[in-house]
Amino acid sequence: MSSRLAAVWIPLALLLGSSPVLGQGDNGLTAVDVKSTKPAPRTADGHPDLSGYWKGTTDTKPGGNIGKDLPGFKLPLTPAGEAALQHNLTATIDPESLCIIGGIPRHNASGLPFEVLQGARKVAFLYWYSYFRLIPIDARRKHSEDPDPSFFGEELGRWEGDTLVIDSIGFKDEKVWIDENANPHSDALHVVERWTRPDADHIHVETLIEDSKFYTRPITYSRTWVAGKADEELQEYSCSENNVDKDHLGFGPGPIRPDGTRGYLDPAPLPPPLPRPVK
Amino acid sequence: MKLRIAIFAAVVGLTAGWPLLAHHSFAAEFDGSKAMRLTGALSKIEWTNPHTYFYLDVNDGSGNIVKWTCEAGSPGALSRRGFKKSDLKLGDTIVVDGYLAKDGSHLIDARRVTLPDGRILSGASAGDGGPGQ
Repeated sequence: MSSRLAAVWIPLALLLGSSPVLGQGDNGLTAVDVKSTKPAPRTADGHPDLSGYWKGTTDTKPGGNIGKDLPGFKLPLTPAGEAALQHNLTATIDPESLCIIGGIPRHNASGLPFEVLQGARKVAFLYWYSYFRLIPIDARRKHSEDPDPSFFGEELGRWEGDTLVIDSIGFKDEKVWIDENANPHSDALHVVERWTRPDADHIHVETLIEDSKFYTRPITYSRTWVAGKADEELQEYSCSENNVDKDHLGFGPGPIRPDGTRGYLDPAPLPPPLPRPVK
Repeated sequence: MKLRIAIFAAVVGLTAGWPLLAHHSFAAEFDGSKAMRLTGALSKIEWTNPHTYFYLDVNDGSGNIVKWTCEAGSPGALSRRGFKKSDLKLGDTIVVDGYLAKDGSHLIDARRVTLPDGRILSGASAGDGGPGQ
């Protein structure tokens, strides 16, 4: 090895060798954003085709936080919402870790890729953990008077020009976190997602989140994903196969860092890596 | 120079923009102040979702064998970073660096796994907000 090469590789090896997440990388689950000049494909009926395997971008921060687009990530909680948040933080285990569906809008804030399969009258969103939602696309359909509460809600799709609008009501009010930071939502939740495909390599959502019980005003959340590789697709993931840790989990997500992500601010370092044996 | 740029880009790619995907927060289960190292014989492997588990027989220094559970990422997460089930063999002595469970049980987060041949692999649950993310 030349001295120039050594000067580069040795610090690199030390950096990776000392990292507690050696080799973690993006695991192929997120991707660096790309520029695209290719137009969005269209279906036979002329609508943009949202179908594809979509991955979050590495510059979407903070991930998992529905307050991502708000100043200081501060959600406008009502007193009832604040009480619900405190309940989630101190008396509930993350429902997703108990293999309960994350629902909407939580799945839109997730770091996991998802797949869209679009038909003329229905669109399917397929998620990790083997969850899905199947949304009718029919502007004539109206919400039910009293829909059965569900994690994705009663979802109705319609086209407004090149935008697929999904309007959802009828959500659960228990065993739900609206994001990974344990923020709450009530059964008054109303979500309007406006999905577009600005070009072949991106899908984008503008989300309006209304919940007058828990939030003093509507919240907006927007995000763009990039297209995965042609051979990437969802894999089997049976969340309840061997959920050993459900008996060891504490309440809430733990501390939230100033950057809006969950986790300890200053964890203890791991013991130093062992030297590789000399061959 | 091109080499340096390429390596810098690789490092940035490895250390920036961790995905959020773990099915629970690291801090909901593990104590970030209690980093530790276990060295023991691999007695059982569960290559399962939502987590992979390694079970180690660890000598507590007094001649007693203590059984420890080491929690790692999902099989998909591990295999995408090159950590395959075939890397582990029952009876192997492996070293696991991680963090103790908050409930004090013999459970650690297998953040870093050192195999008998010296290879170091990440067992971290990607995107759980744990150290390094």
